[in-house]
Amino acid sequence: MPGLVLLRHLLRTVGSAWLILSVLFLLSRGATDQRSLLQTMVESSARLGSLLEQPAVSQQLLQRYGLDAPLFYVSWQPATGWYWHGFHNQYHTWLTQLLQGNLGTSYRSEEPVLVLLGQALQYTLPLTMLAATLSIALALYLVAATGYRPIVSNWVMSMAHTLQSIPLFLLALGLLLLLANPDALNWFPAFGLGPTGPTSTSWSHPQALLYQLTLPTLSLVLGSFPALAIQLNGSLHQELARPYVATARAKGTSQGRTIWRHALRNALLPTVTLLTELLPSIVAGSVVVEVIFALPGMGRLIADAAVQQDYPVLLAGVGLVAIVRLLAQLLADILYPLLDPRIRITA
Amino acid sequence: MKRPFRTVQRGLAISWLSLLIVAALLAPSTVPTPDLATINQPPFHSTHWLGTTSQGLDVGMSLWQGARTLLLVSVPAALCTLLLGGFLGGIAGYWGNTGLRITRTQLVLMVAGVGLAGLLLSWFPGAGGWPWLGVPAAAGLGLLPWRNKKPSTNTWPFPVDSSILALIALVNSVPLLVLVVAVASIQRPSLAGVVALLSLTCWPTPARLMRAATLQSRSQPYIEAAQAAGLPAVRILWRHISPNALPVLLVRFPLTVAVLISLETTLSFLGVGLPPETPSWGRLLAAVRQAPANWWLMLWPGLAIAFTILSLQYIATSKEGE
Repeated sequence: MPGLVLLRHLLRTVGSAWLILSVLFLLSRGATDQRSLLQTMVESSARLGSLLEQPAVSQQLLQRYGLDAPLFYVSWQPATGWYWHGFHNQYHTWLTQLLQGNLGTSYRSEEPVLVLLGQALQYTLPLTMLAATLSIALALYLVAATGYRPIVSNWVMSMAHTLQSIPLFLLALGLLLLLANPDALNWFPAFGLGPTGPTSTSWSHPQALLYQLTLPTLSLVLGSFPALAIQLNGSLHQELARPYVATARAKGTSQGRTIWRHALRNALLPTVTLLTELLPSIVAGSVVVEVIFALPGMGRLIADAAVQQDYPVLLAGVGLVAIVRLLAQLLADILYPLLDPRIRITA
Repeated sequence: MKRPFRTVQRGLAISWLSLLIVAALLAPSTVPTPDLATINQPPFHSTHWLGTTSQGLDVGMSLWQGARTLLLVSVPAALCTLLLGGFLGGIAGYWGNTGLRITRTQLVLMVAGVGLAGLLLSWFPGAGGWPWLGVPAAAGLGLLPWRNKKPSTNTWPFPVDSSILALIALVNSVPLLVLVVAVASIQRPSLAGVVALLSLTCWPTPARLMRAATLQSRSQPYIEAAQAAGLPAVRILWRHISPNALPVLLVRFPLTVAVLISLETTLSFLGVGLPPETPSWGRLLAAVRQAPANWWLMLWPGLAIAFTILSLQYIATSKEGE
């Protein structure tokens, strides 16, 4: 049975990713006219820009990017009605290329999207992993430490509510202007990966990388731990009212041990669903944070592609984020019965 | 001791919000002229009280006009979000997976309606108001077959609940911010476009709330009585279920506005969505990236956004507490 459930989940994951990407692809190709799309593509090379005035050249360019084909299998126009275009259309070409692992080339830099994604992930992975670990640790610690201290707990939770409601970009900008400003406190590099350049500071210099990732990580943690902490606090307080906690206290277990060994384990169960949303939400947060701190990562790739209307990169980025989210949900569904034996997987 | 503090807080929140609304209504719609003689002016040093940007624009003026943009985007978007979410959630909760029985031809017509709407969308390239055109068209075509009341023998249940839940899961599978940024880059920058895009991407939360509320009240005896009396489903939904379920949505209104404000400022901070000449707080904040030494560019809009969101949230939670 678990195999069947897994298969069904995987099919659902692939199906959702396909639907989202198809809708975004059709919208991106359908909503912009070919003229402006060409303009976006050739803007990077000035040589082609002036040639675009000639209709023959723009026709050739349309052919080169495959934009002269019809958009979808069928089309409908008031005058002629339905028309079947056959398999030579933009959507079919895009889908077959996608299935072959070819994500296309960026309109801007003319590089394969896969290469761009790989370069971006190199910076985003440490950032997101660090931020996820730290925010889980912070939420766990804050909630567990304030479990039997209602006044501190209320204070911490109202702080968390405040932090949660303030937009992330405001937090990140505030941190940047406060702690990485030559006029205020010049503790951290304000811009990107510092003066050493992106090549020398990657995995070979973990200390330098850590130093440069401090502020982005801090802002991501501040943006993502409140949701976890609020949920965890709620479920911990529910658990603390249960009789087994009273039993534990009555037999002389210390407060800390009651929380860590007895209550928190049960309180963690409802939080697992939220944990799976943590990684995608951190990736979404990195859209803003990486723009502010000028890190060449995944989020910045998506934001730049959105601003410059570089649709292949945008689609690939959104697809990757969606797949991470869906896989995390799959992981939660698998993890749930392992953590809580009372829950059985039902197909 | 707690009471007066609460009332002070509440008064502060309400007065800030009413100040915002009045300011937005009174804001001049002229394009401000940059004062190039005093660029990068710190606050309280000249006639520009709140300082100027590196282009010589008055920060106070931009804030004032940005307030109107903020309200023009977030309030209609919140209304649309709640309406759309409430409608879909209400349908899903009321009919469930077995409540709505349709014939084969009705299903075919419905699928054709949705497909036609999709094709219409792709046929009008770059039309700013595409969602306004396509969605009612699809809904109209889909609902058209329900006119005939003749009971048909060959019907089978249409899984309304499952399909709406699947739609929610689909929208939720991409983080909201990433989805909004992606869709915003596809459509042409416009105010109505941003409203449409925000309401089309944020509806799952109110839909889920409304579905739960409808499910709760559907099992009540008075609904059974209404069904037994032969009232049409739309009438039961509107007259019997929504009076009990709508407060759940209305309480969400300030919170939805707060979420939408934060999304909208993030969008304009990143430079997608609104047209570049529209004054907005997010764009004002984006100017600080070019001139990091100008702390006042960050302070005023940052404080304004934080105050607005916190007061909205305070009002929402204090309503919930009563």
